[in-house]
Amino acid sequence: MRVNDRVFGMLMLILAVAYGWQATQFPVPFGGHESVGPETFPIMLSIILGISSIYMMVRPDEDEKWAPAAMLVELTVVVLSMLAFAWAIEPIGFMPAAALVVSFLCWRMGASITKSVITGVVSSVSIFLLFNNVLELALPLGLLEF
Amino acid sequence: MDTISLLMQGFAVALSPESIMFAVTGAILGTLIGALPGLGPANGVAILIPLAFSLGLSPTSSLILLTSVYAGAMYGGRISSILLNIPGDEPAMMTCLDGYPMAVKGKAAEALAISAIASFIGSFIATIGLVILAPILAKFALKFGPSEYFALFALAFATLGGITGKNQFKTLMAAAIGLMIATVGIDISTGVQRYTFNTLELFEGVDFIIAIVGLFAISELLFFLERHAGDGLKQVAINKLKLSAQDIIKVLPASIRGALLGFVSGVLPGAGASLGSFISYTLEKRTSDKGEFGKGDPRGVAAPEAGNNGAASGALVPMLTLGVPGSGTTAVLLAMLISLNISPGPMLFQQNADLVWGVIAAMFVGNLVLLLLNIPMVGIFVKLLSIPPKYLMPIVTLIASVGIYSVSHSALDLYFMVGFGVAGYIFRKVDIPLVPIILGMLLGPEMEKSLRHALVLSDGDWTVLLNSGLSIGLWLVAILGLVLPILIGPIVRAKMAKSKHVGD
Repeated sequence: MRVNDRVFGMLMLILAVAYGWQATQFPVPFGGHESVGPETFPIMLSIILGISSIYMMVRPDEDEKWAPAAMLVELTVVVLSMLAFAWAIEPIGFMPAAALVVSFLCWRMGASITKSVITGVVSSVSIFLLFNNVLELALPLGLLEF
Repeated sequence: MDTISLLMQGFAVALSPESIMFAVTGAILGTLIGALPGLGPANGVAILIPLAFSLGLSPTSSLILLTSVYAGAMYGGRISSILLNIPGDEPAMMTCLDGYPMAVKGKAAEALAISAIASFIGSFIATIGLVILAPILAKFALKFGPSEYFALFALAFATLGGITGKNQFKTLMAAAIGLMIATVGIDISTGVQRYTFNTLELFEGVDFIIAIVGLFAISELLFFLERHAGDGLKQVAINKLKLSAQDIIKVLPASIRGALLGFVSGVLPGAGASLGSFISYTLEKRTSDKGEFGKGDPRGVAAPEAGNNGAASGALVPMLTLGVPGSGTTAVLLAMLISLNISPGPMLFQQNADLVWGVIAAMFVGNLVLLLLNIPMVGIFVKLLSIPPKYLMPIVTLIASVGIYSVSHSALDLYFMVGFGVAGYIFRKVDIPLVPIILGMLLGPEMEKSLRHALVLSDGDWTVLLNSGLSIGLWLVAILGLVLPILIGPIVRAKMAKSKHVGD
């Protein structure tokens, strides 16, 4: 199958057109038009991207296999867990958030629940101590602050 | 000699207790990173940059730390090649051919020791090459005007796919994407907002450190998960080291030849470490007497190791003198320099002589440290290979995130990092190389500046880009770099695959 490259090439072509069109809409800078303005380089880039995406659609490579649907769900969940960590680091605090996300990731990678939790807690506490006390980079305490 | 006295000053910097501490720390961390299958030097340096940055280290200290990590990772790569038959990254592939058979024959310790010595010789000779060549090239590069620089940047992108590159259009596409990301933000010369969508966070553009960590480290985690490399890997047991002076003398010529070949392919744009270790190995196989190549010949371990370490130091020459990196890891090192407000290039050797020569001297020190570290203490690094990746990868991800967070204490950066990670995963699935993207982000502003500068000076006459013999020459090499892989790439790739099969 040669679908990946065609789809990706199509998306990139849309991006190239949108990006290039946007460049033509830049306001004329103060002092009038120059021979080379802020739009020159972006327009060049959109042409290069356009040509290479058309090439990709016309002569696509063999597809690399995508993961089965179950794995894609799995990967999505992992990505969401990292986003949740990003969200939680300030309100909840580094240590609980990190312990949760590391335990979760270990577990999803196939470790037993007990071992995952141990890895999560030990790594988050030691990294916290290393950063806060040795390297003196403050990480948020969150809920543990009182 | 001017160079000698500058180098001596460099040693004064490199031998301060602080510098030695950073060199040793970097060497240890680098070896650990290199020894882990799946984490190459580019990943390792990428993860550590935000740390060095948020710790507020001085430019010299950060650069010493990270170049030692780089060198250490090149050393470490051989450990998993020899014991697991899994190369840590592409250049380490050739070491598997004879390293693993040696280990199977019960000579793992000898293979590790020989490869450490060869790595040392490779780096050492290449660093001497760097000392000789870099100032000459820097002086030469002072003649570059804006149009020559523009051609040089084009050359850097054109040759990035390397001789072994598969689809040149994908390299080109990746470079365009990177350059496009670089245009986000306020245009410096006119103050016009470009692609910011009026979002305050985008006014200063997209931080490439976040992009690097996301594209490399986070996408690697996703790939790891997909492959489910869940458990620890079976490794060959290590015997007691029995290495005579004679054994070392036997591999010396191979190491020296490998070092020189590696250095040259490191300096040349587009060749890189993979080709360095490949050429060293094949040449050694051809010139040596009927050895046992492919079945555990020590020279087959020494040559590619010297070659890939030589290439690693060689790749620093264009990075430091022209500001144009030749490999993924040097691109990451360049990112580091730029974020410290140091612009590499010919002026670096004049304005920051202390820094350059301090770092070069630190490379000599670092290599010595690595040699001393790697022979007696190799057992400790080997132990690490038995830690299953299912514990290690999440922890590495955590360290990467903490580094990113510490740079600006903003959770938004973490969202961006994850976003780049997902993008990196998709890019890798459709075979879009990541390094040109990074390089595009790094070189974009300078490239645009030289284009506009050249065109403003010529009143918008585009032929200015071909105004000198030098720029025409650079364009010709760039075109050659783009076309050559299409012609000879398949041949070289087939040869590399064939020699790999013999090893299997």
